[in-house]
Amino acid sequence: MTRRGLAGAALASLLAGCAASPPLKDGLPESAPPAIELAETPFFPQEDFQCGPAALATLLVASGVDVNPDALVPEVYLPGRAGSLSLELVGATRRHGRLPWVLDTTADEMVEELEAGRPVLLLQNRGVPQIPIWHYAVLVGYDAERNLAILRSGDTERLEMKWQRFARAWHQGGRFAMTVLKPGEIPAHAGPARFIEAAAGLEAAGQRQSARAAYESAISRWPGEPHAWLGLGNVALADGDRAAAADAYLRAILLAPDHAAARNNLAELLLDAGCLDESRRQVERASALAEGTSLAPAIADSRARIRATAEAVSNCQLGDRTWPD
Amino acid sequence: MVIEGFRRSCVALLSVSVIALGVQQPALAGVVGTADAVAATRTGDPRATVDATLARADVRAKLVEFGVDPLAVEGRLAALSDQEIASLADRIESAPAGGDALAIIGIVFLVLIILEVVGVIDIFKKT
Repeated sequence: MTRRGLAGAALASLLAGCAASPPLKDGLPESAPPAIELAETPFFPQEDFQCGPAALATLLVASGVDVNPDALVPEVYLPGRAGSLSLELVGATRRHGRLPWVLDTTADEMVEELEAGRPVLLLQNRGVPQIPIWHYAVLVGYDAERNLAILRSGDTERLEMKWQRFARAWHQGGRFAMTVLKPGEIPAHAGPARFIEAAAGLEAAGQRQSARAAYESAISRWPGEPHAWLGLGNVALADGDRAAAADAYLRAILLAPDHAAARNNLAELLLDAGCLDESRRQVERASALAEGTSLAPAIADSRARIRATAEAVSNCQLGDRTWPD
Repeated sequence: MVIEGFRRSCVALLSVSVIALGVQQPALAGVVGTADAVAATRTGDPRATVDATLARADVRAKLVEFGVDPLAVEGRLAALSDQEIASLADRIESAPAGGDALAIIGIVFLVLIILEVVGVIDIFKKT
């Protein structure tokens, strides 16, 4: 293709994209208000290539974290790519004790999060599919009557963008959007699996206090979810609270008797508490349950270690409970 | 001024990471993290799991290669789960990196003008 042909193709796709999506009021959920603007949302004008740190600082500060874009540069900016990757925005959110909530790929969830008072960070392609120009902006509201998205973007504090143009740039950016949740907050549109996985991300990042708050919220909303109890047990154990951890693992196993991870962790806890016979019984069960799953190697390690210790004299410090079969 | 500030944030970050390294040690070695338990339930296929240590080493090397201060790398890695690290290892070169739209638009425009002036393209024709 000639250079002129390339430019022509780019222009054609740009024009084609403009007509694609419907006006905002046609796609708005019926319960949603006709207009929202989170006017209190802070604004950080971006410096060179720093829309990632600026957009993330906007959300973090809105959720009560004391931070600024400069402090986020070493946490998210990737000099060799002249930008920031969305996964690293997710990671950096955790480092500040907040839960990163990656939205699903429909605009409905964006509207619901705005209704809950949370600005939405999103990735846009401001170029064309062939020549992408990636940009992070923050959606702070919309106006269905005027068919507008309202954004904090780049060095513009209040950018009004025609809804279709906004939706197309987001669509071409791979439909990545996220909000930042305070400890214990549950998103407007959350199922248990997605939320518990998000909480598990905080646990993996060592943010135990925020992870605990998230698991507790999950348990009060969905008390029958064994993974939420497993998570609560894990953070309690990491904090040295054996009794709370034991109770949480027990709840997980009562809800799901074939929960290999909960049984393995209970076995580790029992070993640590000196309850060797019970520890051994639980790890044997966990090992059988984990066979053929990705947990098998880790649980085999536990089993070997517990077996090696099992010759010692049992000195159970949690003998007042009845452990499941 | 800027360099001084940057140096100061690096030092602050390093001290934070060193402190964090101490805190993040799990209480017991063999405890299965919730993220791993969730992943095991979902995939159910042991072949789908990757060597987490290997993937972390891979991403660590790539972050440094892409210009991240080695002192800042550990903190960034620690914020991501094994599953996310695996995804990053595959996509770090190709995943969209949000930068500064205005600067790049400026560069593209400049290139177009230069090509126009030297006669390679002819898109700003006056009619």
